[in-house]
Amino acid sequence: MYIIKKNDILNLAKELAKDHTMYGPVVEDSTGQAFFDRVDNIDDIDMAAPIPTLPPKHVLFPHMETIMQYRYDADQKKAEITGVFDESRKALFGLRPCDLEGILCMDRFFLGQEFVDDWYREHRSRMFIVTNTCIAPFKQCFCVCTDSGPDAKEGYDINLTDIGQYYLVETGSKKGEDLAKAMNLDKAAEEHSREKTVRVEKSITLFEDIAVENKAWISRVMNRVTTGFIDEAVWEFIGDQCFECGACTYVCPSCTCFNVVDINRKDGESLRLRTWDSCSYEGYSRMAGGHNPRKPVEDRRNKRFFCKLSYSQSKKYLRPGCVGCGRCAWVCPGDIGLPNVVTYIRREISK
Amino acid sequence: MNIQKIVTIPEIATIDEIKEEIQDVKTFYLSFDNKEVDKTFKFKSGQFIMCTVFGSGEFAVSLPPSPEDDRFHITVKTVGKVTGALHSLQAGDKLGVRGPFGNGFPFEDIKGKNVVYVAGGIGLIPLRSSIVNVLQHREDFGRIILMYGSRSPDDLMYSYNLEEWQNIDGFETFITVDNPTPDWKGHTGIITTLFDKMELPVDDTVAFVCGPPIMFNAVIKEMMDRGISDEHIISTLERHMKCGVGKCQHCGIGRTLVCTDGPVYTYRQIKTLGEQI
Amino acid sequence: MDYKPGICTFCGTGCGHFLKVSQSGVDGVFPSRNHPVSRGRLCVRGWNIHELLSTTDRNTTPMVKKSGTFQPVTYEEAITEAVNSLKKFLPGETAFLASPRSSNEENYLFMKMARSVFGTNNISTDTESGHRNSLDVLNEGTGFPGMTGSIGDIQKSEVLLVAGMDITRQNPIIGSELHMASMNGATLVTLDSRTTQIARLSDTFYRINPGSMKVLFNALASAMVANNLYDKSFVEKNTENYNEFIESIQAVDIESGAKKSGLTVEELTRLAELLTKSKSAMSFFTSGISGLDRDTIGSIYNVFLLAGKIGKEGCGVNPIAGINNLQGSFDTGCAPDLLTGFQSLADQKVRTKFESAWQQALPADGGFDFDTMMKNGSVKALVVTDHDDGIIKYRDSLDSVEYIVYIGAFRNDFQDYAHVVLPITSYIETDGTYTNTERRVQLSSKKMDGDANVMPGWKLLQTIANKAGANWNYTSPSDVMNEISQLTPTYSGITYDRLSTSFGLQWPCNTSKPDGTIRYSLESAPRKPLFVKISMDTDIPSVTDKFPYLLMMGKAQHYWHQNNLMHKTHIPLREYNATLLLYPDGYVEIHPDDAKKLGVRDRWSVRVVSAGGDMEIMAKVSDEVAPGRAYIPYFIRDMITAFLSKHIDAVEKGEDATIPVRIEKV
Repeated sequence: MYIIKKNDILNLAKELAKDHTMYGPVVEDSTGQAFFDRVDNIDDIDMAAPIPTLPPKHVLFPHMETIMQYRYDADQKKAEITGVFDESRKALFGLRPCDLEGILCMDRFFLGQEFVDDWYREHRSRMFIVTNTCIAPFKQCFCVCTDSGPDAKEGYDINLTDIGQYYLVETGSKKGEDLAKAMNLDKAAEEHSREKTVRVEKSITLFEDIAVENKAWISRVMNRVTTGFIDEAVWEFIGDQCFECGACTYVCPSCTCFNVVDINRKDGESLRLRTWDSCSYEGYSRMAGGHNPRKPVEDRRNKRFFCKLSYSQSKKYLRPGCVGCGRCAWVCPGDIGLPNVVTYIRREISK
Repeated sequence: MNIQKIVTIPEIATIDEIKEEIQDVKTFYLSFDNKEVDKTFKFKSGQFIMCTVFGSGEFAVSLPPSPEDDRFHITVKTVGKVTGALHSLQAGDKLGVRGPFGNGFPFEDIKGKNVVYVAGGIGLIPLRSSIVNVLQHREDFGRIILMYGSRSPDDLMYSYNLEEWQNIDGFETFITVDNPTPDWKGHTGIITTLFDKMELPVDDTVAFVCGPPIMFNAVIKEMMDRGISDEHIISTLERHMKCGVGKCQHCGIGRTLVCTDGPVYTYRQIKTLGEQI
Repeated sequence: MDYKPGICTFCGTGCGHFLKVSQSGVDGVFPSRNHPVSRGRLCVRGWNIHELLSTTDRNTTPMVKKSGTFQPVTYEEAITEAVNSLKKFLPGETAFLASPRSSNEENYLFMKMARSVFGTNNISTDTESGHRNSLDVLNEGTGFPGMTGSIGDIQKSEVLLVAGMDITRQNPIIGSELHMASMNGATLVTLDSRTTQIARLSDTFYRINPGSMKVLFNALASAMVANNLYDKSFVEKNTENYNEFIESIQAVDIESGAKKSGLTVEELTRLAELLTKSKSAMSFFTSGISGLDRDTIGSIYNVFLLAGKIGKEGCGVNPIAGINNLQGSFDTGCAPDLLTGFQSLADQKVRTKFESAWQQALPADGGFDFDTMMKNGSVKALVVTDHDDGIIKYRDSLDSVEYIVYIGAFRNDFQDYAHVVLPITSYIETDGTYTNTERRVQLSSKKMDGDANVMPGWKLLQTIANKAGANWNYTSPSDVMNEISQLTPTYSGITYDRLSTSFGLQWPCNTSKPDGTIRYSLESAPRKPLFVKISMDTDIPSVTDKFPYLLMMGKAQHYWHQNNLMHKTHIPLREYNATLLLYPDGYVEIHPDDAKKLGVRDRWSVRVVSAGGDMEIMAKVSDEVAPGRAYIPYFIRDMITAFLSKHIDAVEKGEDATIPVRIEKV
C-alpha cells in the first residue's frame, strides 16, 4: 500500500497517459452531466464528479463498433475478410466500484463460458484499471444491496481511497505495483489503512440519508425470480408500463446483448458491425419466418429480471447481475427500473 | 493441424453445386477454399454453422450431412433477407463459414437402442444428419424407424434420399401427406395417424422429433401416451441467433442459450428451461 | 470527450442527447439527464439515432436526369440547370414544398427564396390538414399560435386529458411525463376509440365511438353550462364572447351527445366536474398529419376555456407535433398565407416590413398549399426538400408535374421522380435550430464534418437564390437566425449565443421575456382569449346493414409517412418490421368476437369493402378495438392501397376519420 498527496493524484493519470488512451470522470461543460469518457487533457478529469451517467462499459463494448471488414468480388468470385480489433492500450482512471463489478461481470461473460470473445479480449487485455472508492453514496445508489461497493475488493490494478490529505493507493496487480514503484510513491502507514476502513464504514452509514432514491431487497426476490413463482398479473402490471425503449439494458454495466449487421459501403467494401441490442425489444427474439417466442412485453420484462437476478445467471457472473448503480431507474420512461420492479415483486410475495 | 472450431473470423467456402429441392428450398454443396481446413473440418450431427452471405449478413443453419463420408452441404429455405440473398447466388460464389457450434445429437450414447425419427416438413433437414450417420452403423443400433409427414407430396424434403431409404432392409419408413395429389400412392393423413400403422418400440428406445410446434406437441403426446419417457425424446430447437457462440444472447430461453447448451435438448429439459419455446 | 451534447430530431418532443463522434463518424448516443424535456430518457428511435446518422444511404453528389437516368454533375451544373428550367414556369404554377424536418434556417431561406426570388406564395409543408388546424384554432382563440402549455408543466398539473392520441408511441417521452405525473397523483384520463398503452395506464379510460370526439366535447361544454360546472368568474373576467358561446352551446343536447359518443350522462358530468373543480388541467391531442380536424380541436379548446384551464401553470390546450420541426416550419413562414411567426401575409404593415428587409416586393397574388395545387392539377414545377415518397396520395399525379428539383441529405424514393437532385449535409454536419412542440427553439450545433463535396442546406439555398438573381450573403446559419429574429416578434430575443448556453428558448422570447415563455399566460396576453366558432353539428359516422363496421385510421408505432428514415436504421427497422413482416399484406385490427363471427383467425386474409372500393388484407385479432370497429394504421407504405386513395377526404380528416365498411372472409 502507498499514499499520494491529494493534489498530486492526477500525476498518476499523467504517468499512465504516456502510453495509454485515458478515460476518466468528466463533467460536460454546457449540460453539467457527468460522464466517464475519453480525455485528451488529463486536467479535465474530475475525481469529485458524481457517478457517471454512462457506465464505462462503452470503452470495452462500444455502442457501435466495426468487428470485421470484407470485400466480395462477385465477378472474380474472390472474397477477402479481415477482423478488426482494437489493440490500443486504454486506462480507466477513477472508476467507481459498482462499474468495476460491471466490468468483472462482462469479463466472466465474454472471456469465460465456452468461447472467448476476441474483440472484448483485445479491448480488455491491455487495460489498466484505477478505481476510486466512494466515500459517500449518490442519491441513486444501492450497491450495498448488491454487494458491489462502496469500495472495490478485487479486479483493479490500483484502488484509490480519499483519506483526507492523501489518497490511499492499493495495488491489485503487478502492473499496479510497477506503476507505484515507477512513481516512487511513499509507503502507507498503519493509520492510513485504518482511515480507509473508517471512511468506507462512514460511507455505508451515509446510504440511509443520501441514497434515498432506490432500495432493492434483492435476496428476497432472487428465489422467486429463479423459480418463476411470480403471479402473471405482476408481470402484466410491469409490462404495461414498459415503453420498450431499451434504455435499461443500455445503461446497465453488466448488460451485454448485441446485434450484428453487415453494411455495404459505396466503395464495394462491407463492414460487419456489432451494436448494443436490448431484450426489451419485440424484434430481439423474432425469428425469420415470423415465430416470436417472446412477443408480449411482459414476457420480455420477465426475461430481463431473470437475467439480472436469477441464480442461474448469477452463476455465470459469479455474483448477482445487478451492481446497484441505479441508472436503470432514472432512464426509464415508465418508471420500472430494477428497484421498483423488486418492490412490486416483494409486494406480491408478502400479500 | 487439427482445426477445432472456426469461431471469430469466417473461413471462406465455395458453392460447388446448387440443387433445387422443394419450393423455396435449395441445397448448397460447399467446400472450404483452404485445403487444410477442408480436410480437417469435423462436426457432429445436430450441430450448426454460422454462414455469411457476403454483402447481406450471417445466419445460423443446421448441418444435414452425416459427419462421415457425406458431401458437405447446407439446405436452406428462404425466409428472410439473408436467406433470400443466398438463393440468388450461383455455383462458384463464395460464402463464409464459422463453426461447428452446438452440442449435437447423441450418437455413442444411444448405441444399442431403437431409434425412432419423427419429422414434419422441413424438420427432416436437421434430422438427416443423424439418420444417415446411424444408417452408416446399422449394426450398432436396434430398430431404426422414420415417420415423416408433409403438407403435400411436393413438400416432401430429400425425395431422393427417401426413395433409397424406403428400400433399405432394416430401416422402417412410414411416410404420409396431409393433402395428396391424384398420383400419390402412399399414406394420407396427418403425421399422428402413422402411429396406428406401426408398432412403436417403447423400451430401450430414443425418439428424435423435429417439426413445426403444433406437430411437435401432438407427436410428443402420442409417444408419451404409448410409454416413451420425456428424457428419451430428443429435439433440436431453433432460435434467432447472431453470434452462435453464447455472447449475443438472442437465443436465450430461460436458463439456457440454444447455441451453446443446445440446440439439442431432451423433452424433459425443454419443459424445465424456464420459458416457453 | 467523445460524447457531445445535441438534440434528437425524430419527433416533436425534441429530447436532448449526446452523440458519440469519433474518427469513423457517429457511433453512439446517450440521453441527456439535465435536459428539461427528456430528463434522461430516450425512446427506441432516439436510442438508435446513431444508426441513422451513420447510414451510407445518403445523397453524395448533385445529379441531373439525362435520358431517363441520373448523371452525377457539379453543383454549378445542377443548379444552373435547375434555375434555368424553373424560370420557364410561371410563379403561379410553381410549388415549393418545405419539410417539417428541415431546420428553421433552411426553411426560412427556402420560403424567402420562393417569395422573393421565384415570386410565388405557393409555399407549404403539406401539413395543412394537421398542425395548421391546431395553430389556427389557438391563434383565433388566444392569439398564441403554439402549444399553450409546456411539457414541464405536466408534473404540476392535476388533471391530464389525452384526446385520441397514441401518445406513448408517437411522442414516447411526453407519454412518459404523463405516466410519471399519474404515478405521482395526477388524474390521467384518456378518450380514444382504441385501447392504447396510455389508455391502459390511465386512471379513467373511455373507449368512445369512432368519430365522436367533437360531439363529446360539445356535449361536455353543454353539460358544464347546464350544471353550472364551469369557471364562471374566470370566463366573465377573462373572455370576450362568452355570452355568444354559452347561448350556442346550450342548444347542444347533452343526453344525445353523450349517447352518440358512448358515454353516460353521469360520466360526462363527472368529467365536467373533474375539469372544472381541479386546480389545473391540460389536454393533449395529436397534431400533424392525421391530427384532429379544426372543429374538433376547437371544441376541446372551448371546453378548457370554459373550465378556466388556459393561461395558468399546469393548464393548457396542447397539440403535440409528431415531427421534429413541424412547429418551426410554421414559425418560419412555410405557408401560403403566412410569413414568419404566424404574421399574416394580408397584413400590410407586415408586408412592408418584409419587403424593406428583403429589398424586394412580395408577390401580389395569394398562394396555395401543395395539397390544393395537386388536387387542381396546377403544379407544373416543384421544388421539394426532404419529403418521403409517402406523399403517396399524389403518387399517380406526380407524373403531371413537369419539372421537379429535389433537395435532401438522405436518399429517398421521392427523388426518383425528380429531374435534379441536390444533396445537402445531414443535420449534425452543420448548425441549425429546431422548434419542438412546446415552442422550444433548440440549437443543434455541428458535430462533425460532412462529405467535403456536399454543401450544407443554408449554403445550397443561398447558391440557388443567387444564381437566380438574388444577392444574399449569409456567412453562417447564425446569420440566418439573426434575420429571422429581426423580422419575427416572437423570436426577437433568440440568437445562437443565447441558444448555445441554454437548453433552448421557448418563444415568445423578446425584450419583455428575455428567457423565453414557458406558457401562454393571461397576464401577458395582448388580448382576452375568445371562444372559437365551430360547427355544432352532431353527425357521427354510422353503420348500415351493408357496411356494418366502422374502419378507423391512425398512426402506430415507428411511423412517419412510410418511415423513410426508419429504413436506414437496423434496430428500429427490425422493430418496425416485427409487426409488418407478420402481416406482409398489411393488417386491419378486428375484435376477437368479430373474428369469430367472420370465421377468421389472426393472419387470415379478409376483404374490406366500402362504398368506394375494396382491398384484401390480413386480419389482426386484437381486443384493442371494440366490436364493430376496425383499425388500420394507414401510414405504412404497403397499406396505402388503391382502397384508401379513394377515401382521400377521410384520410385527410385524420385521427377521427372513419369509413363504413364490410369485412368478409376470403
